[in-house]
Amino acid sequence: MSVKYVPVSWTTSKKLYDAGLIAGIALYLLAFSHFAIGAVDDQALRIRALGSCAFLLLSLVLAIGPLARLDRRFLPLLYNRRHFGVITCTIAAGHALAVLGWYFAFSPLGPYDAMLVADIGSGHLRGVPFIPFGIAALLILLVLAVTSHDFWLSFLTPKLWKALHLGVYAAYGLVVLHVAFGALQAQRAFEIEVTVCALGLVALHLWTGFREGRKPRMAAAAPSGLVHACKLGDIAEGRAIVVRLTDADPVAIFRHEGRLSAVSHLCAHQNGPLGEGRVIDGCITCPWHGFQYRLEDGRAPPPFTERIATYRLHLTGDDVMLDPSPNPPGTYVQPLEPA
Amino acid sequence: MSPPDFFIGWDRNSGRAQFRFLALVAAGFLALLAGIGLLDGQDAAPRGLFHLAPPPPPDAPIDAVTLRGRVALHPYPTLFVQPDATHPSLHSVLLSGDGKRGPSIDPALADGAMVSVTGLKLRRGTIDMLVVGEEVHPLPDPPIAAPAPVSLGRWRVAGEICDGKCQTGAMQPGQGLSHRACASLCLIGGVPPVFVTASPVAGASFLLLAGPDGRALADLRRLAALPVVLEGEIERRGDLLVFKVDLTQARVL
Repeated sequence: MSVKYVPVSWTTSKKLYDAGLIAGIALYLLAFSHFAIGAVDDQALRIRALGSCAFLLLSLVLAIGPLARLDRRFLPLLYNRRHFGVITCTIAAGHALAVLGWYFAFSPLGPYDAMLVADIGSGHLRGVPFIPFGIAALLILLVLAVTSHDFWLSFLTPKLWKALHLGVYAAYGLVVLHVAFGALQAQRAFEIEVTVCALGLVALHLWTGFREGRKPRMAAAAPSGLVHACKLGDIAEGRAIVVRLTDADPVAIFRHEGRLSAVSHLCAHQNGPLGEGRVIDGCITCPWHGFQYRLEDGRAPPPFTERIATYRLHLTGDDVMLDPSPNPPGTYVQPLEPA
Repeated sequence: MSPPDFFIGWDRNSGRAQFRFLALVAAGFLALLAGIGLLDGQDAAPRGLFHLAPPPPPDAPIDAVTLRGRVALHPYPTLFVQPDATHPSLHSVLLSGDGKRGPSIDPALADGAMVSVTGLKLRRGTIDMLVVGEEVHPLPDPPIAAPAPVSLGRWRVAGEICDGKCQTGAMQPGQGLSHRACASLCLIGGVPPVFVTASPVAGASFLLLAGPDGRALADLRRLAALPVVLEGEIERRGDLLVFKVDLTQARVL
């Protein structure tokens, strides 16, 4: 959390994260280049090393989300995931620049003109121009990298920002096509990496989606419109249960010092799963990036300004009943105090 | 209150519970990248994956040479030099310019004129190329006889259309799909197109391409760097084989 925009709010964990990432990339490029065999000149080797490294990094960064859903111990990787994305985009741009400076250089045409006119279709599956796929993927990654800062998250709103950044999946699909119609037609060793990464990523997402899909959803009960959320004893102190509604955003019901409060399950920062967080220092704390909100009004403690929707609760005997109509973000609701 | 069971970036104590796990993840990440980097660099498929070999030796320096001979402007600028101990018949050297360009030829230069050209010599397989950095100028030398074309008949040959420059060693790899755009640019720029055959034809695996009329071909980008079958007459000119093809008959494999 930050009260003003700075390029990067460095913390020790962020420095360690980036150092590990850069060390891994350096190891990859060193291993690729130093032990490479085959008649390939240095420039082509650099192009291949950067390109394959970018593909691997993009695969890994896309694996972080589902891994963190499956095992909370991966959450620290998600905390700085945008650094991972920006570094991945930088490596991909390095690959593109290396291509421009070698394959598209030394021509009567300028490198950018050459890039656009050189690779035309053959009319056959083999020979489908693969460069446009790579250009499109890089453009998407550049947009995502440029808008990765919290300023853009706030400016675009989390919902739009999130939708925009799901474009990384389109970029990945384009990269797979770029590789499939390009490098894979000529380089055998790359096949293993591409196959394992792409299939592994699909499997990981399917498994995570399957697990998430199995979580029960609740419909509003007629005629009161209230939803039976849970039993009073189901909510542990300092924790929440998540109520998934069929036609509305999920709601998190927290218990703190015996009293119950209901707020949106979606963090105002990046739509992180607030209900999977816990109460720390009297505030709901998001497990993704540590954003905090007060239980009674869904407002971040001053000087922060984020707000989330609150909900009204009713107690019928031992049953916690939820009014699924959200209050405007930041609306005060008296916490429910069981007798 | 117990420390949080999840990581919070602004809480210095929150990551300690996962320290061992994160250390393992970091070690696994580094090992994964180093391992895959090692694997990806092993691209000599015929020699097998995981075949570790020392890095290739640095390229030998290329010295400039000066050649004198008869220039043929069609289908593409080629220099024919007198036979010597290495080349018992009239020896052909394809000409190209710097970068992805054809040679700079004086428009007044007549086909068949004697010239002197200085440049860097490239060689791959049976073809030689001279990268000419300056304009080709005529010599007053008495002309040497043009190589008498000898028809080897009509052939249907499988192979790949490459630019003659990268294929002669200016780039490695100088062929294949990943090199397709580069080859297209060389061909656009006027570098002579070469057909690299899947198996030798009359002892050669590199044929200079020409149209059915023996002149330069039109746009080759559609077929460059793809495995194709071409059909046409093969003609021997000195030690150079010229494949006169009709591209409308070309078939992508």
